[in-house]
Formats: sequence, C-alpha cells, structure tokens
Amino acid sequence: MLTYIARRLLTLIPMVIVISFLIYLGLELTPGDAVSHMIPPDAYGSMDEDRLQELRESLGLGKPFLVRYWIWISGVLQGDFGYSLAGGVPISKIFLDRLPATLELSIAALLISTVLGSILGTISALTRGSLTDQSLTVVGMLGVSIPEFFFGLVAILIFALNLEWLPVGGRTLPGYDSFWDRLPHLVMPAMVLSIMMTAGVMRYARSSMLDALSRDFIRTARSKGMPEWRVNILHGFRVALTPVIVLIGFRLPVLIGGSVIIEQVFQWPGIGKEFVSAVRSQDYPLVMMVALFSVLAVLVASLIVDLLTAIIDPRVRLGD
Amino acid sequence: MEMGNDVALSVRNLKTYIYTNNRCNRALDGVSFEIRQGKTLCIVGESGCGKSVTAASIMQLLPTLSRIEDGEITYHGPDGPVRIDALERDGAKMRAIRGKEIAMIFQDPMTALNPVYSIGFQIKEMLRYHTSLGRKDRHSKAIDLLRSMGIPLPERRVDEYPHLYSGGMRQRAMIAIAMSCNPRILIADEPTTALDVTIQAQIFELMDTLKRENGTAIMLITHDMGVVAELADDVAVMYMGNIVEAGPVGKVLRKPVHPYTRALLDSIPVLGRGKDQEIKAIPGQTPDPYNRPTGCQFADRCAYRVSACDEMPPETMVADDHRVMCWRYQEFMADAAE
Ligand SMILES: Nc1ncnc2c1ncn2[C@@H]1O[C@H](COP(=O)(O)OP(=O)(O)O)[C@@H](O)[C@H]1O
Ligand SMILES: [Mg+2]
Repeated sequence: MLTYIARRLLTLIPMVIVISFLIYLGLELTPGDAVSHMIPPDAYGSMDEDRLQELRESLGLGKPFLVRYWIWISGVLQGDFGYSLAGGVPISKIFLDRLPATLELSIAALLISTVLGSILGTISALTRGSLTDQSLTVVGMLGVSIPEFFFGLVAILIFALNLEWLPVGGRTLPGYDSFWDRLPHLVMPAMVLSIMMTAGVMRYARSSMLDALSRDFIRTARSKGMPEWRVNILHGFRVALTPVIVLIGFRLPVLIGGSVIIEQVFQWPGIGKEFVSAVRSQDYPLVMMVALFSVLAVLVASLIVDLLTAIIDPRVRLGD
Repeated sequence: MEMGNDVALSVRNLKTYIYTNNRCNRALDGVSFEIRQGKTLCIVGESGCGKSVTAASIMQLLPTLSRIEDGEITYHGPDGPVRIDALERDGAKMRAIRGKEIAMIFQDPMTALNPVYSIGFQIKEMLRYHTSLGRKDRHSKAIDLLRSMGIPLPERRVDEYPHLYSGGMRQRAMIAIAMSCNPRILIADEPTTALDVTIQAQIFELMDTLKRENGTAIMLITHDMGVVAELADDVAVMYMGNIVEAGPVGKVLRKPVHPYTRALLDSIPVLGRGKDQEIKAIPGQTPDPYNRPTGCQFADRCAYRVSACDEMPPETMVADDHRVMCWRYQEFMADAAE
C-alpha cells in the first residue's frame, strides 16, 4: 500500500511538468503580455518602443520561450511561486491567505453532496416508481441543468435579503474568527456549490443502487432470512457505494470550477475569486499557479479515490 | 412409505401468476407435491417450465409483480404445520423460516455471494440471526462448516473474499451458508449448471452426504435426467406450470407413463446403454407462456395427441405413489409394463 502511494506520488512529477508546460504555452499564445497590461492603454500608445523593450527585458520577457518556462518551473519545484504582478505580493502568501477559505468551502460542499446525494439516491432507488422517486428525479434534473450562479442569486435574494436568516456574502466579520462564528457565512455558498454535485451523485447513486439491488446476492441475502434494512443497506448500498465514490472523484474538477463562480457570487475570499481577478488583469504568474494548483488538486484527489476504492472494495488490488 | 408424518413440506394445487406489462403468466397452474424428510425430490423439466418459480414460491422470494393466487404451501416444522402461503412476504415469521428451516442455494455461485464481504461474514451473518451463538462461537462454527464442506485451510479461507474462491469452492461456501443452521429442507436450484462436470459430481456427492448425515430433505431442481437417476428418491416432471408426472425415481424413470417424461428420457444419453443409443430431441417448442393452450400443455408437441387433449387432463394416480396427468395414461401404462 505504502509503496503504491509512493509510486503514485512520483508519477505526479512528470504529469505536473507536462501540464505546467501546456499551461505556460496556453498563456504564451494569448494576445497581449504583462507589459501591455501594466501600462494604461492611453500611455501605452504614446510610449516609445525602446522603453517598452527595456521593461520587457527587466521582467525577463525577452528571453526565449523555453528558457522562460524553465526559469518558472524550476522555481516552482523549489517552492518559489513567484510574485503577483498586481502589487508584487508573493504568490505563496496569496495561497496561504486564500487557500483555507477555498478548501473550507469545497470540502463542505463535497461532504454535503456526498452524504445528501447518496441518501437521496438510495431513497429514490428503494421507492422506485413512487411519487417520492419521481419528484426526486425531477429535482435532480433541475439540479444538474440550472447553472449554479442562478441558484446563488436566488438564494441570496430569499435567505439573505428577504428572510435575513443568513449573511449576503463574505466569510467572516472582523473579530469573529472561530469556525462556529463563520458557519452562517458558509451555509449558503456551500449548499449552492453542492447543488449540482448533489444532483449528480443522487442520480448516479440511484442507478448504482438499482443495479446492486437487482443482483443475485440480494436474493441470497433475502433467502437467508435477513431483514429488509440489512438486505438493502448492508448488502445493497454497500456494493452500490464503490461506483459512487469513483464518480465523486471524477466530478471534483466540476466542484473546483463551480467554486470559482460561487466565490464570486458570494464574495467568498478564496482562490477562485482571486483567480477571476487575476485573469481579468492578466496577472500571468498568479493565473498559472492557480491553474497548476487545480490540476494538482485533481490528481491528488484521484489518488485518494483510488485508495478509497481499494479500501471499500476487496476485489480491487493496488498494483505494487 | 407415503405415511404423511415424514413429510417436511407439502404443496397443494399451487397457482402462482406473474404479471408483466399487464399480461398474466400463469407460471404455476396447480402444482402439488411433497418433500419427504431426509429424501431428495428432483424437479425436472425444460427451462421456463416453472421450476424456479416453484422454489421462489416456497421461499416467498417471488418477483414483486406476482402472487400466489390459489393453493397452499405447508411447512411441517418442529412446532407443527405452518401455512407459508399465508405469511407476509418479508415479515418476521417468514424470515424466521428462511435460512433456518428452509435454506436455498442458487444456480450461479459466482454471483450469489456478495463480493464485498468475506465468506466468513456471510456465514456468520446467518448464525447471528438464527442462533444464539456468541461472536467467538460463530467464528469457529463458520470454520467448522467450511471444513465439513471440504474447503482446505478453513481457518485462513474463512476471512477471504468470494473472488479468491473458485466456482466449485464458492458453491461449497454457499452450501456452508445454507447448512449453517441445520435446516430441515435444502432447496437447490440447478446448483451445478454453472460448474465443470467434475466439480458437479463433487457438489452432488456433498449434498448426498449432507442428506444422509443430517437427515435434510432436499428439493433439487435440475434439467438433467442423469442427475435425477443418480440422486433422486422422488421425481416430479414439470411442463409449463404443471407436474405432468410424479413418483418414486424407480417408477418414473423405469416405467414412465407420460409422453413428455418419455421424450425427456429419450433426449438424453443414458449411461450403460452403449454408444449407439438413439438420442431424440423433443420436437417443437414450448408454447408462449402468455398464450398457453387451454388443454394439455404438451399436446402440440405430443405424438399421441387425440381430440380429448384439448381439455386439461386430470391428475390421476396410476399407483398409490405414482401420479400422471394424461388422458391416455392407461395405454401408456400397458406398454410401460412390457
Ligand atoms: N422474474 C420474473 N419476471 C417475469 N417472469 C418470470 C420471472 N421469473 C420467471 N418468470 C416466468 O415464469 C415462467 C417459469 O419460469 P422459471 O420458473 O424461471 O423456469 P425454470 O423452470 O427454467 O426455472 C417462465 O414463463 C418465465 O418467463
Ligand atoms: Mg430456473
């Protein structure tokens, strides 16, 4: 098991290098460069080429593409993430400041959607064809098809502005720092962020559960005189769980993408919100680091999913 | 022999109908038989004739859209007779009988075991619900059971998962589960169809030993007449939801009366009859279960059909333990006697 984890972690390195190269290349191909953004457009036109060129040289932009990439990635691998172009703040500091908020939000959403989705999907499967099942199916379809920001705006309108139960946005108020103080702020963004994923997990859990319930070992369990809850939960749900976990792993990128939007809607001070403003201001170093970090998060998550699958399904052997 | 007090389970005029797409499939249309204590009853017939539905009716494990419309299933347990057909499907009383009094093993041992639990877990779960054994006793009992089913290294294999067992071993494990609470009746629905021929023989031998040692009554479902000849004490031949002929194995196999039983016997090679024996497939096909003939179900494929066959023939006793469902039984009895 440990050798397997070590090996998987080692294979991350070449993957990160390839992906980071693609990210770097992608940004290289976008029009404009850092200099064109740093200088106001009206001044840009009137500045003479030599000054601009000087500025580019000083930022290292004059060097060939591959050399620049190498400088960047070797720095990153040594823990030097570079500086944001906006304000010259070290990117590592931005991560340190913003990452906890993003993790808090996505883990909360992940937990909500996993638990709620599996439970609703199981109920749906067990009451197949009933009114409950049909309503859950319709709700699930709405959940996966309506964009999250719409839910976010509606939720703010109802729960924050009309009912005034929850704060409109932000993560905390000055002076209130414990998790419990922050909880009311977390509720709405986490719920809204989890909607799409909950609906997805629910639909998948339903079909996975129906599949499990139609298998022969369910009949065996009944023939042994086991009570229905044991047949459904211990034998059915337990088997239905593995594909659901795998699905959740695959859906993590969706969650990360969603959190960019949700952080914007709820003014949640996380990496996602930072990312949007970095893209707007063409803050390349920051954009690249956030993109690279998301990729890494997905890769690590898929490793965790593999480990989880091996734990819950005895047939899965981790090759070592 | 036919005393009545050695009967473990009796089925009288059982009618089980299955409903699909608003159409009714009269899967069992008046089935009667008895399973005797410590004996093996073989139910034979082509696929689709209702063998599995018979087993499912006894266990109350029928598909959701199906119903026992008529007839009775009586389990003669230690506390007197119990009308199984009157019990709630998944109610506590039915669950107390399932597994403990009547246990069942299935056709495909590859899929009948839950892949995510160890074999031991699946045996012990049975002991936990049907016996008062403590945790440690359950564990050692599970090991003992595996050992007596011929599983090597049971102390180690008890904690292994089904995918590490071969097909034959899985069926042995399945039998260990079924036998764990020492049931009075073991129902085996084509238990070896999915296994190799050599493994088949081993499994049947095991079942036969269990019958002799524990006095378990066995209801063995098969479509293999060779198996019947080997194992059965009693035979019931089924065709399209009816038992067309039933009796002790010697009479049914040696002096078959019903044309269908004869056709079945002609359609298989019999050991000892030599290489050049004639093997005749039964002509025609089984009728559409949703559109069954009103008279004798076999009439369309029968070489001896007469106009009387448009009516359903009654069940007739041709000896005190031999029953047949055919209008022309007297003629066939006469030539069977030759
Ligand atoms: N789960 C089910 N749903 C619908 N029809 C079924 C089901 N099980 C059995 N049947 C029907 O009942 C009849 C008897 O089937 P079965 O008892 O399985 O035959 P076999 O003798 O091969 O075991 C067949 O016509 C079959 O189509
Ligand atoms: Mg069958």
